[in-house]
Amino acid sequence: MVGTGTGEVSRFFDTGGQTARLMLYVLLSVVLMAMDHQGQYVPRARSLAAQALEPIYHVVEWPVRAVRNLYGQFESRRSLRHENARLRRELLAQQGELQRLQTLQEENRRLRALFVGAESQPYDYRFAELLQVDLDPFSHRVLIDRGERDGVRAGQAVIDGGGVLGQVEDVRLHFSSVRLISDPNHALPVQINRTGLRTVAFGQGETARLSLASVPREADVRVGDLIVTSGLGERFPGGYPVAVVSAIDRGEGQTFAQVEAAPLAALDRGREVLIIHAAEPPATEGPATDGAPDAAPTNAQADEEPAETTDAPAPAAAEAGRQEGEE
Amino acid sequence: MRTRRDRLSTVLVTVAVAMFLTLAPMPAWLSMLWPYWVALVLIYWCLETQGLVSLGLAFSLGLVLDLLTGSLLGLHALGLVIIVYLVTRFRARLRFFPPWQQALAMLALLLNDRVVMLWVLSLRGEPMPPVEYWLSALIGTAVWPWLFLLLDRYRGVMRQRVTS
Repeated sequence: MVGTGTGEVSRFFDTGGQTARLMLYVLLSVVLMAMDHQGQYVPRARSLAAQALEPIYHVVEWPVRAVRNLYGQFESRRSLRHENARLRRELLAQQGELQRLQTLQEENRRLRALFVGAESQPYDYRFAELLQVDLDPFSHRVLIDRGERDGVRAGQAVIDGGGVLGQVEDVRLHFSSVRLISDPNHALPVQINRTGLRTVAFGQGETARLSLASVPREADVRVGDLIVTSGLGERFPGGYPVAVVSAIDRGEGQTFAQVEAAPLAALDRGREVLIIHAAEPPATEGPATDGAPDAAPTNAQADEEPAETTDAPAPAAAEAGRQEGEE
Repeated sequence: MRTRRDRLSTVLVTVAVAMFLTLAPMPAWLSMLWPYWVALVLIYWCLETQGLVSLGLAFSLGLVLDLLTGSLLGLHALGLVIIVYLVTRFRARLRFFPPWQQALAMLALLLNDRVVMLWVLSLRGEPMPPVEYWLSALIGTAVWPWLFLLLDRYRGVMRQRVTS
């Protein structure tokens, strides 16, 4: 019978060979991790494998959806009516805001027309939901239920009701993975809304904290300042809220202040997101590179301000900025 | 008598369930505390069967887990290979430990795994994880006896189904 009383025989079960094989496998996995970290070969293999994994995610997600649907069925009509009324009120308020925005946009367009070629692009939003699948908390990724079929392309920005969430990294047929702005390898060109000071927001591996690089010590930054995307690097459209400055450390004898900001997007608990499409294909190369998810070399041309990078080929500028910021 | 393939498929079914549990959605605070199901299940099979769970199997299951959870490729593979190696090495002793001692051994194994993982993560530039990170090993230990009984039950049922 299975495994009863046979244990004693195996006490000296091939120990030498076993250790050698352990070493082999350990070496193999270390090499794999190093390659994955450097972005060699492995991401491509991973994206191939992801195709096969798609059904698994749907299977995992299914019970959650089923329960939620069931719950929705039984939710009382009264509460639905209440919610409906509330949403209608909110919609009205937002429409009011929008009307004001439209005149502002028109004015903005006229003003921009005075300058040459500074035309801003109209953007188009697409709704997506997070897949109810729990990835490794250290992977800084989420999955959304829109993929190639729905016109999602790698490099597109993803926002939620609060602010910028991340960017599309890997696109599959029916779902895609989004790299969060909290990833330690993620850099996002931003500016401080009040003063227009440009900087780069680096992920810190925590969902509640970003760090702003190369902010001069004397710069006019206050706790509570809103940080928005600057639109440099041509991946993220400008003007979307990202975070709020939460702490500033102007240490003695430092060139740069250490500024931390708390992201506005619900990085660890959101459910609905919007994918930003540029309405007509703009001249950016980022989203156009199809299939190869981290076709990061395209960011290299933005030499002054590092573009958002998802992986290893972080522009030298970004690295330099980070080092200076930490000193 | 059951063939090796039968037994292997029994193992794989439980591992699949463990992976399902790993992926199941949950609030953020819980996902840090969530026990390492795949490792616990593999430890059980290592203890209770002879030569069925090889290092190669642990490695490949780890790779699948890495792909599924989107972690660094090889991270879970490394952890599982080390765990399976340790368990097979000390199998004869572990099996005859009284339950509380066995639970302590599980704690040591899971903590060791956390240390290995922390080492890799810190090489990658992640900050020090919160306390929950370590608590996961404790919760895994607390879950262990129940999981053990459950899997024993399951194994008994499967065995009867094949022999009858």
